[in-house]
Amino acid sequence: MSASRRPMFGEQQRFVLLLIAPAALLLLLFQVVPIVIGANASFRDWALYNPKKTWIGFDHYVAVITDPAFLYVVLPNTFLFMVLSVAGALVAGLMLALLLNRPFRGQKLVQTILLVPLMVAPVIAAIMIRWIFNDQFGIVNVVLEAIGLEGQPWLVQRWSAFGIILLTDIWLWTPWFTLLLLAGLQSLPKEPFEAAAIDGTTTWRVFRFLTLPMLRPVIVVCVVIRAIDAFRTFDIVWTLTGGGPGRSTELFSLYAYVHAFLNLDLGRGSAAAIVGGLIILVIGVVLYRLVDRIAKA
Amino acid sequence: MAMVRRSEFLPWLPPIGRKTLFALVVAFICFAFAFPVLWLILTSLRPESGVYYVHRGTEFTLLSFAEVLSDERIVAAFLNSALISTLATVFSLLVTVSSGYMLSRFTGPASRIWFGTIYVFRCVPYISWVLPLYFVTQSWGIYDTYTGLLLPHVAVHICFFSWLMKGFFDGIDPSMEYAAMIDGCTRWGAFIRVAVPSALPAISALAVLCWLFTWNEFLFALILTGNRVPMITVVMAQFVTEMGLRWNLMAATAVMALVPAFLIALFGQKYVIRGLRI
Repeated sequence: MSASRRPMFGEQQRFVLLLIAPAALLLLLFQVVPIVIGANASFRDWALYNPKKTWIGFDHYVAVITDPAFLYVVLPNTFLFMVLSVAGALVAGLMLALLLNRPFRGQKLVQTILLVPLMVAPVIAAIMIRWIFNDQFGIVNVVLEAIGLEGQPWLVQRWSAFGIILLTDIWLWTPWFTLLLLAGLQSLPKEPFEAAAIDGTTTWRVFRFLTLPMLRPVIVVCVVIRAIDAFRTFDIVWTLTGGGPGRSTELFSLYAYVHAFLNLDLGRGSAAAIVGGLIILVIGVVLYRLVDRIAKA
Repeated sequence: MAMVRRSEFLPWLPPIGRKTLFALVVAFICFAFAFPVLWLILTSLRPESGVYYVHRGTEFTLLSFAEVLSDERIVAAFLNSALISTLATVFSLLVTVSSGYMLSRFTGPASRIWFGTIYVFRCVPYISWVLPLYFVTQSWGIYDTYTGLLLPHVAVHICFFSWLMKGFFDGIDPSMEYAAMIDGCTRWGAFIRVAVPSALPAISALAVLCWLFTWNEFLFALILTGNRVPMITVVMAQFVTEMGLRWNLMAATAVMALVPAFLIALFGQKYVIRGLRI
């Protein structure tokens, strides 16, 4: 299509600018302005109980970057969460998309059921999971005890809590991958697959050498979008564990939120938010380059 | 894909065994996927004493729902969430369809700059701008009002939906628009009368997604509202901390919050799959 797109001429300028004007205005007012104000706040000693807002330079940044909780808990948690959540949801989503892409009886029903998590608010999901893994009344422990095993205090141990957060997130986002990959699968050309079927190629080889390479652009776009989103996860962790036990499941968004709204230190919270923003921006640009290269190849 | 059937799924099993096993696997996956929601529904239907001891009786009741529905704050939160989601969907579409159209149909510096801007702001973590947005909305006097919640929600959607919309318009041949313009349509006429109608499946898909995202959104609602504009996700999260262990009420609220999203998604899934395929 790009051949028929035209370069921008003078007479078109007004039309072009009008098309993006509302979006640009909203972006300016509700993202650019707050970010500038947040950046300003991050250089000041700005706390709710201390309205003087004295300029203190990079002190907050130094405090965030040298904070052991940030360096050794929050950052590793965030990256681990990002990688595992995206990988898990991608694998599960791809498997389900392949399942739904072949006709079988009751396929429509199965598809509807598999899309259920898409409608569930992360907060609701977190509440459900919290209830299911409740150490006294949760069904998981009840079942475990019924078959003679010992119930676990799932949400008050670091790694089991982290695992449950991860599982919840994968459950929530798998349908999203399924949906996009299914749309991608259904738009693939039929001929190569028919040729492979005539040649009697095994399913695995069809998947490995036909489906996967042809789906690659869709997969990469999904991964990029989801990775960026996973980095800023807030709601399920907040509702499931609140970052606990201790601060061991805290992710980056929670760290900034806790500093700004629970410790009432807006400067420190803003600095943390900006540090995280810069990190993800670098990741985002690198990933974008990757998408661009793969899409062109 | 129907052609690739011969060798798939455990060829060493006899056909009947293969079919049964396949059905069992699919049934298990479905069960695992639906279990949390089923358990939630079950919990919402148990009387308070039955919630904590699953093995004690099979009594069911609608009392939790009655109690939730008689709580003004929760009902208000439902209405607010529905109103904000609907308005945010309408405004987001108005704003992003045109911006996506621009990204798709024009090349040149303005388009490149706008795309770069959108990509960069797509990456910025929400917390980095809602945190100061809390103070901005307060100083503009729109904190804890409909405007103060609606406009940031529309702003959230700009980047992602403009990007998606660009993809959709890329898949639509612009020659119809040129034909319309040769026949005397203005640029706006070509956009509104030709491009938008041909992108309708994609726009419906976007509307469904947009409504669901807003309905399920939590961080913005948590930070940008106080008591005057309660949102359902925030009210539910407060349940966990403030009301202690009243799981049946929480479950009933959660189930009711699921219903509209479920209906929208059920009727919308056709559009979403079709729209995303363009």
